[in-house]
Amino acid sequence: MAEEFEPKIVAFLCKWCSSAGADLAGVSRMEYPPNIIPIQVMCSGSVSPLYIFSALSQGADGVLVSGCHPGDCHYMKGNYYARRRLALVKKLLEYIGLEPPRFQMSWVSATEGVKFTQLIKELVKELQPLGPQTKLRRNF
Amino acid sequence: MVNLEQLKEEAKKILSSGKIKYLIGYENIGASWQVRPAFICRPEDVDRLVWTPACFHNLTRFIHDEKRKRAREKNPDLRPIGLIIKGCDSRSINVLLQEKYLERNEVYLIGVSCELAGVIDETKLRNHLGGLKPEKILFGEKDTIKVIVNNEEREIPAPQILAKRCLECPANYPVIADIILGEKIKRNPTDRYKSISQYEKMSGPERWAFWLEQFSRCLRCYACRSVCPMCYCDECVADSIAFAVTAETTAEEKAQKIRWVERNPEPSENIFFHLVRAIHLAGRCVDCGECERVCPVAIPLRLLNQKMEKEAKELFGYEVGFDASQPPLIACFRDNDPQDFIR
Amino acid sequence: MRRTGVFVCHCGINIAGTVDVKKVAAELAKYPGVVYSEDYVYMCSDPGQNLIIQAIKEKKLDTIVVACCSPTLHETTFRNVAKIAGLNPYRCEIANIREQCSWVHREKDKATRKAISITRSIVEKVRRNESLEDVSVPVTKRALVIGGGIAGIQASLDIANAGYEVILVEKSPSIGGHMSQLSETFPTLDCSQCILTPKMVEVAKHPKVKLMTYSEVQEVSGFVGNFKVKILRKPTYVDADKCTLCDECTKVCPIVVPNEFDMGLTGRRAIYIPFPQAVPATYTIDEKACPGMFDTAIACGKCADVCKPGAINFDMKPEIIEVEVGAIIVATGYDLYDKSMMAEYGYGKYPDVLDGLQFERLLSASGPTRGKILRPSDKKEPKEVVFIQCVGSRDPELHWPYCSKICCMYTAKHAMLYKHHVPDGQAYIFYIDIRSGGKNYEEFVHRAVEEDGVLYLRGKVSKVFEDNGKLIVWGADTLTGKQIEIAADMVVLAMAIRPSKGTDELAKKLKIALDKDGFLAEAHPKLRPVESMTSGIFLAGAAQAPKDIPEAVGQASGAAAKAVAILSQERLFHSPTVARVLKNLCTGCGMCISVCPYEAISLKESKAEVNEILCEGCGTCSASCLRNAIQVKNLTPYHIQEMIKACLGG
Ligand SMILES: Cc1cc2nc3c(=O)[nH]c(=O)nc-3n(C[C@H](O)[C@H](O)[C@H](O)COP(=O)(O)OP(=O)(O)OC[C@H]3O[C@@H](n4cnc5c(N)ncnc54)[C@H](O)[C@@H]3O)c2cc1C
Ligand code: SF4
Ligand code: SF4
Ligand code: FES
Repeated sequence: MAEEFEPKIVAFLCKWCSSAGADLAGVSRMEYPPNIIPIQVMCSGSVSPLYIFSALSQGADGVLVSGCHPGDCHYMKGNYYARRRLALVKKLLEYIGLEPPRFQMSWVSATEGVKFTQLIKELVKELQPLGPQTKLRRNF
Repeated sequence: MVNLEQLKEEAKKILSSGKIKYLIGYENIGASWQVRPAFICRPEDVDRLVWTPACFHNLTRFIHDEKRKRAREKNPDLRPIGLIIKGCDSRSINVLLQEKYLERNEVYLIGVSCELAGVIDETKLRNHLGGLKPEKILFGEKDTIKVIVNNEEREIPAPQILAKRCLECPANYPVIADIILGEKIKRNPTDRYKSISQYEKMSGPERWAFWLEQFSRCLRCYACRSVCPMCYCDECVADSIAFAVTAETTAEEKAQKIRWVERNPEPSENIFFHLVRAIHLAGRCVDCGECERVCPVAIPLRLLNQKMEKEAKELFGYEVGFDASQPPLIACFRDNDPQDFIR
Repeated sequence: MRRTGVFVCHCGINIAGTVDVKKVAAELAKYPGVVYSEDYVYMCSDPGQNLIIQAIKEKKLDTIVVACCSPTLHETTFRNVAKIAGLNPYRCEIANIREQCSWVHREKDKATRKAISITRSIVEKVRRNESLEDVSVPVTKRALVIGGGIAGIQASLDIANAGYEVILVEKSPSIGGHMSQLSETFPTLDCSQCILTPKMVEVAKHPKVKLMTYSEVQEVSGFVGNFKVKILRKPTYVDADKCTLCDECTKVCPIVVPNEFDMGLTGRRAIYIPFPQAVPATYTIDEKACPGMFDTAIACGKCADVCKPGAINFDMKPEIIEVEVGAIIVATGYDLYDKSMMAEYGYGKYPDVLDGLQFERLLSASGPTRGKILRPSDKKEPKEVVFIQCVGSRDPELHWPYCSKICCMYTAKHAMLYKHHVPDGQAYIFYIDIRSGGKNYEEFVHRAVEEDGVLYLRGKVSKVFEDNGKLIVWGADTLTGKQIEIAADMVVLAMAIRPSKGTDELAKKLKIALDKDGFLAEAHPKLRPVESMTSGIFLAGAAQAPKDIPEAVGQASGAAAKAVAILSQERLFHSPTVARVLKNLCTGCGMCISVCPYEAISLKESKAEVNEILCEGCGTCSASCLRNAIQVKNLTPYHIQEMIKACLGG
């Protein structure tokens, strides 16, 4: 059997909830595919659309931004701004024809190790059939 | 209908009062139907002014030049500058006010209502006249446009030759101005986002094919950016921009700048550039159509900006350029902003 | 080029079990800019730390990355190590290859590859880090306590006794809060006034306490350690220093309004002392009641005429006093739920339907009936009294979903005290269930049932109406399923406890959050119950949630300890990874200002400027700036860009 495609996913995780949730998945010794490379940011609100475009341009097959659930942001409001800003990014990317699973956003709290594990598994599953992301990748 | 004599009268009045530094309006290019921006400094020059359906330029863009100039001058003349503005242009003024780029007292605004017409689309006009050259283009009665061809006056129903954006315009008369000429007749567009609907209906791969073809043509001449009333930044993130330089920053680091996107007109870079532009214009673009008009390779840039405009309205109830006191689109939120896309 | 050192920890087999640590170290050694790369079994152990210190010194490293467990665990450890070795602590970063790598993957080669990517990205980050010094600010060694109920009094005393100045602001003319209205207190039945009055006096006399009654907080700015507060002192029109408490004035004042201290069961004059033990002991002219105040045409002035010491001064003006404080405690207490919401129980319609505080006043020896239980309507002794619990509480559909917590106990107390006053009477209590968690509380309820024959009926009352001079109470006993009808002489409603009126406005001024029910929100329900989300502002008493006296006092002392922890510092320190503005890029659009959750940014000469003390470094501003003109130190777009590159490379 041909080896399955291994998508590379850049995940921007907020320090207080999603990165802590990912830590919990580790502490609980859960298992998920190693396709994601986490970048810890302070808050989902700090993720600029440029980061997402940049990750795609540098060859990410998928990008995830994950923050605290609404109302739980350590800084109270950051995730609300992120939600609005990134909704526009998602619409824009899909509008130019990028496959929707390539850019995703999630809420993962510090207690949701299980959700995080599940999410990564699903993400990889959704990205595998799409193959490498070449649309926005810099190719020179 | 906007009375041109009255327009000149108002222009003369304000210029003679010495209250403004100069007035930017429109004038004919030679004897042709075409117009260009006119900088009027003296009351006696107001006769150059015209107001026709060919006045597509958004003159607010010239504020950038004026501001840059003032920043360089030692003792700048700080009197407001006068501008003739259409509905769409007035909304861009509002955005500039909202972003504190401009103070209200830095401009004197003579608003002109497009009433039931607007500005023409050159291609549509050309097709309509089947190769004949227009001599003059004027506003007609109600929603018609008068075109003089071979000394003969033709009354064309405006929708047939109007720019698409005018047919989709939510503000056919200025929403902010010192005086408004012409009638404030509200024309409600039947479909505000008509231009993009056909592309929204396409499948993902179809859209990609479409956009790839469009973006591949981009020359990165940046005409769109130069003409845009919102692109007033001195340094654009699409060029390489500086990062914080501290005592510890090495020479090597100083030489390096963050470069989000390469200058090469490669498809990947062109797309990146236009994505950044679209996202940075979300909640700011007023659909004056200037970028699309000046693009030398006819990339339909309105389709990107209008998409963002529509999403802002549908997802967040946000309308651009009607209220200078509201916070910008991405600098506010509602507790119940949609989040069905979030897992 | 920086000289970066990489230290890969095995964490026993925790990392080494799934990640080939040797390979990680070897791969990183090849990475540009890395001049030293090493692995070790336990980096956090003493020998591990020494290894790092030595390498920094010997190899002249200027930045280090420790690839180990989550930064939440050992970031501080390794930053200290860096410091010991003479590096700025912010030149050390952690690559999390345990929780987010070795522990969640099983295939060694893939996990190793991922560990390499993570570590490389952190190398790219640390190389761009600046040396930073913690931000520090001096502390104003003074506290503000808002609300002079028992919680506010206790907090003020604790802080003052620790040696710091306190400003205690109370909006009514006297401190004491609701506790001053209570008769006797559960579970010991000691007289409320008797235990409260000494504390009121103590706080008023305390040399470190500045008492400001009849005052309200108007504006708050600043931040932890350095708040600036504007306090509005309303005019009382009576000079407290001259007033001798002779009480001549109330005898001549022609105006009578409901007495709020007696919950409207009695009247008071327009000039009044809230209650005899009031602190400060003086009179106040109620602006809203005195006709001379709102209508200058009416020149009454009777009180001034009889006031021998000449204490009355109609020209007194509101005053705004500005103070600076380092910490704030909010102890604004509660009010009872608005009774007009309970039309089905006839409150307001029938004079003999009372709320709990009115009943407290009836029980009180100094109350309207001098401690005799008499019906307000005909001043007769009620022989059958029905108490209804959970009125407006635990009712998510119509009223409030939460439990008001203290009503079970005070209703038991009420029924018990009623029986002590009227031994031949009968007390019924309608309840959903009895919540008597608390020291000696359960015993207290048992005493009510067993010694005083209080009849507990489990069920809900559907209606109260008047019939033939009696209050007919219709209810259902949910234990027996029977309908119950009681012809009562008096009905007492245990109304839901609500945050005191004006709590929402005050919260806005303080920029602190409210919970879903309108009480002040604590920073963490378990671990930070006395802190608000805003640093330097603490919560005490019933303003945070319904509480009885011991709990209110306990929380007040907790809040005071937290405040003292701030006031006892010379300077406060704060993480230096805050936002910075690149002035040449900033256009002054103000988007960052709108989004900053801490109001840390302002415009100075049309450019954004960050107050480093307020900034928490969340970076929300940086993502909203279209020009990358505002960036959080050590996690700038430049850092991120290079990190992404390293993540994806190879
Ligand atoms: C009927 C009844 C019986 C009770 N019986 C008992 C009992 O037997 N035993 C027991 O332990 N507990 C009892 N309690 C509970 C007790 O009353 C409270 O626990 C206690 O009063 C809480 O104190 P506090 O200081 O938090 O609030 P409060 O007593 O409400 O004091 C708050 C103070 O803050 C002031 N204030 C409010 N807003 C502002 C503002 N914006 N600015 C300045 N000042 C402000 C108010 O005027 C008030 O003085 C009973 C409660 C009720 C309703
Ligand atoms: S958002 Fe950016 S450009 Fe606007 S004021 Fe803030 S730092 Fe300046
Ligand atoms: S980093 Fe956060 S707290 Fe600091 S200025 Fe920016 S938005 Fe405000
Ligand atoms: S801190 Fe997690 S989203 Fe803001």
